[in-house]
Amino acid sequence: MTGPFMTAKLSSLERSERRLGIALLMPAFALLGGVVLYPIAALIRMSFSENKLTEPWMAKPWIGFENYWKALGDHRLWEASWHTALYIIVTVPGAVALGLGLALLANQPFKVKWPVRLGLLLPWALPLVFAGLIFRWFFEYQQGLVNNLLIWIGLSPVNWLTQEGPAFFAICVAIIWKTSSFAALVLLAGLQTIPKSLYEAAEVDGASKWNQFREITLPMLKPAIIVALIFRTITAIQTFDIPKAMTDGGPGNATETLAMYIHKTTIDSLDFGYGSTLAVLMFIVSAILTSIYLRHTRRDPSAGRH
Amino acid sequence: MAAMMKFPSSRKMTLIAGAIVAINGFFPALWILFTSLKTESELMRLPITIWPAAPTLGNYARVFTDQPIFLFMWNSFVVAVLSTILCVTVSALAAYALVRLRIPAPNVILSVLLAVAMFPLISLMVPLFSVMRDLSLLNTWWALIFPYAVLSMPVCTLVLISFFQDIPRDLENAAMIDGCSRLGALWHVVIPLTAPGVFTAGILAFVNAWDEFLLALTLAPRVASRTLPVGITLYQGEFSFPWPIISAALIIAIVPICIIIAIFQERVVGGLTSGGVKG
Repeated sequence: MTGPFMTAKLSSLERSERRLGIALLMPAFALLGGVVLYPIAALIRMSFSENKLTEPWMAKPWIGFENYWKALGDHRLWEASWHTALYIIVTVPGAVALGLGLALLANQPFKVKWPVRLGLLLPWALPLVFAGLIFRWFFEYQQGLVNNLLIWIGLSPVNWLTQEGPAFFAICVAIIWKTSSFAALVLLAGLQTIPKSLYEAAEVDGASKWNQFREITLPMLKPAIIVALIFRTITAIQTFDIPKAMTDGGPGNATETLAMYIHKTTIDSLDFGYGSTLAVLMFIVSAILTSIYLRHTRRDPSAGRH
Repeated sequence: MAAMMKFPSSRKMTLIAGAIVAINGFFPALWILFTSLKTESELMRLPITIWPAAPTLGNYARVFTDQPIFLFMWNSFVVAVLSTILCVTVSALAAYALVRLRIPAPNVILSVLLAVAMFPLISLMVPLFSVMRDLSLLNTWWALIFPYAVLSMPVCTLVLISFFQDIPRDLENAAMIDGCSRLGALWHVVIPLTAPGVFTAGILAFVNAWDEFLLALTLAPRVASRTLPVGITLYQGEFSFPWPIISAALIIAIVPICIIIAIFQERVVGGLTSGGVKG
């Protein structure tokens, strides 16, 4: 719309509007500058230095890429990255699949809508760390609901949170439960945009429910599913709260994520130089995924709706 | 198989489907509620009970005496409210500029704004800690208010953009012919007409701030400045994790958020699904 001709001869009204527009964007960019951009600059600088708050009397010498070489050979970093990747591989499709199931169940002409709507919203509204605490209680050895159910059906109880495999499983269950609700809300909104006439036509043609699901629902829902998957992946990279509340990374470091390792390095061990390097590496991976997400949701805000 | 439930043949199927969704959402919170009403000795008994045999509010009393939970709640409340006001104001101005004022390349500017605001918190936490320390802002509300305003900026901006786009330009032009300035038209015409959108953005920002844990844990760890998620998670009994008391504290912390989403459920769903993703 605003081609070179249009911009070449802006009226004075348009020019003053443009000035006002830029002025109105300033607070947002000032906030981003102070909270994100300046700290990023500080982060990158710190990542090339030795900076241990445990030794505040020491100088903070520039050590070039030394922290990055150290990261390459850091066994614990590779382990934490592997755990994070596992959480992503299991919980992202898991949450979207459960979300799809919930959305299909919720997409009904209910007379009373609020119990279902609130049932979808509550897990979303709960702090992640509370979901972690609640599931830690579910998986508690003696009084936990899960073990008591196992005993009730005649199986033996499991030490869920103190063994590597079971702890990973329990954490995944909590993450999937907590994050499926956002996926469900997005997918339900997607389902409601599918014209009913498509199903009626398929019904007339004698298509089975399963075929209707495969031929109509899934293809029509594909954009929403992709957005939900990407969005979940971006948040899953940062997995911190739930494992922190359930195992604090244990047993040993068996369930520790990248985010938890960064937190421990900087805040607990106060090694800001190396912690910054880890944070930069994390940011690079996350930036790649964010750019994919933004490409999928990009639109022109001035274009209007129609 | 779930597709079988697309158009259920009977009302019963609809009810079952709805019940599954509701139970999935409510059960964990209900279980915590039951736990919070049990006495310590009932909790120790095996096999476990579902309903509390002798419901007691003793655990709730313990929450208030053992921990400064009102203080945690006050911290959470102040931080959430102030960051919400800041976030909605800043996002509304930016959204209006992007939708209405002929700034160059609005979609590029929006992408940059979203990309920067979506910088991973865990990476941001490291330098924010040292910046806030240099400014002596650690353990203050401000250490959280500014980052939380940024945290919700993407969703608020997207929600507000979608609402502003629905306001016909003619309405503003009419107001401006009547002598309003651009900003006057925004304040007197656009904001009142898009009040539901502003409100939705505000609720989403509030919930995000109320729920945040990582930054609160890092930037405000001292007991007096903890928010609810940090205060409750770091609650340790002398010998073990005191589950009945933790449960009571969780219920106390969850109730405000439950009330908010129960009252504004339609707005929240609308805002989440229009702002978070392609609408």
